[in-house]
Amino acid sequence: MSDSTKKFVITRFDPDKDEEVRTQTYEIPVQSDWKVLDAINFIKDEIDGTLSHRWSCRMAVCGSCGMMVDGEPKLTCKTALASYGDTVRIEPLANFPTVRDLVVEMDGFMDKFKSVKPWIIRAKEQAAEEGTYRQTPDELQAFKQFSMCINCMLCYSACPVVANEPEFLGPAAIALGHRYNMDSRDEGAAERNEVFRGEGTVFSCSYANECSEVCPKNVDPAAAVNQAKFNAVVDWTTQLVLPRGEE
Amino acid sequence: MAGASHPGAMAPPIPGPTRTAPPRKPASWPSHPRMRVYTLFGLTGIVYLVLGFLCLRIVWALGQGEAAWDTTMASMSNPFYIAFHWVSLLSVIFVGVRFFRLFPKAQPARIGPLKPPPRSLILVMLYCVWIGVTALFVAILMGGLFR
Repeated sequence: MSDSTKKFVITRFDPDKDEEVRTQTYEIPVQSDWKVLDAINFIKDEIDGTLSHRWSCRMAVCGSCGMMVDGEPKLTCKTALASYGDTVRIEPLANFPTVRDLVVEMDGFMDKFKSVKPWIIRAKEQAAEEGTYRQTPDELQAFKQFSMCINCMLCYSACPVVANEPEFLGPAAIALGHRYNMDSRDEGAAERNEVFRGEGTVFSCSYANECSEVCPKNVDPAAAVNQAKFNAVVDWTTQLVLPRGEE
Repeated sequence: MAGASHPGAMAPPIPGPTRTAPPRKPASWPSHPRMRVYTLFGLTGIVYLVLGFLCLRIVWALGQGEAAWDTTMASMSNPFYIAFHWVSLLSVIFVGVRFFRLFPKAQPARIGPLKPPPRSLILVMLYCVWIGVTALFVAILMGGLFR
């Protein structure tokens, strides 16, 4: 049963027809307990089947349904509709090319992820019979917060550096690289710190802290980026004093 | 049972990269309260630049002799300079508070066996150092330490 109606001004873009993005307004009945995603799904299911958007889990775990809601990057499945006015503006995530309507192009983002080598690097793999790599709760705690990222890309949409320097490695990728650098089982910090010392990486960050403000999982990517700056400098200084292979 | 999908089943109808609309910056940025604070933070750089030139002017006057020094000091009573000093003071406080708020979480998780103290303690230490250094400079400028 509907409680009221709201207007939704939604960005539309059809790559086969439209020269540039346009907006379309829908007025729909909404319920007080709806999330923003419920309204978009209602429009898709009941009014306009041509509307394209990404979503999956509906419980803030998959990171698929990130969109700009009234100008702010939000996970739409986690954002209560009741906290918005009578007219709600829905746009695709800022700072990303739009593939169609509310769906953004993720290729560049995925390339940035790969560049920080987000896997455990070992100088020599331990034989299976030697057992698993063990870790104390304290060692786990050192990186656990940064491993909670769901790759929703809200931080890239909020970051003023990404907006002005699209080649910037960005908050989530740096946080992920830092997460592996902090992992006691990993031995690849030197390789990742070399990436971090490159052009358009950690030192491009001006610490606006916007990424942490919008992060729906409290990962605090700004902390990771700035910790990574310190570690990259320490690693560089150590290499200067003790060149690798000569210690 | 259905057969295996054609390898090209998910390929786009027109080969080649999909045409996309270019990325757009969030339209709300200039008016968003957080972005306003960040812009203000960036603008304080102009205040520090002007302050740097003012310091150079004062040092230059010091090197020109007593008369030049007295003239420069007298010019500081100009309302424009007084207003500028108030703006500088507010800028320093604003940047200091922002820096102190963000500094604790930027600390490395550990340096060797050492872990940083709790964030609240770092914050208290920072403010204590700030107050201490300010008090020291005030004492020097008021002639309390060196005569």
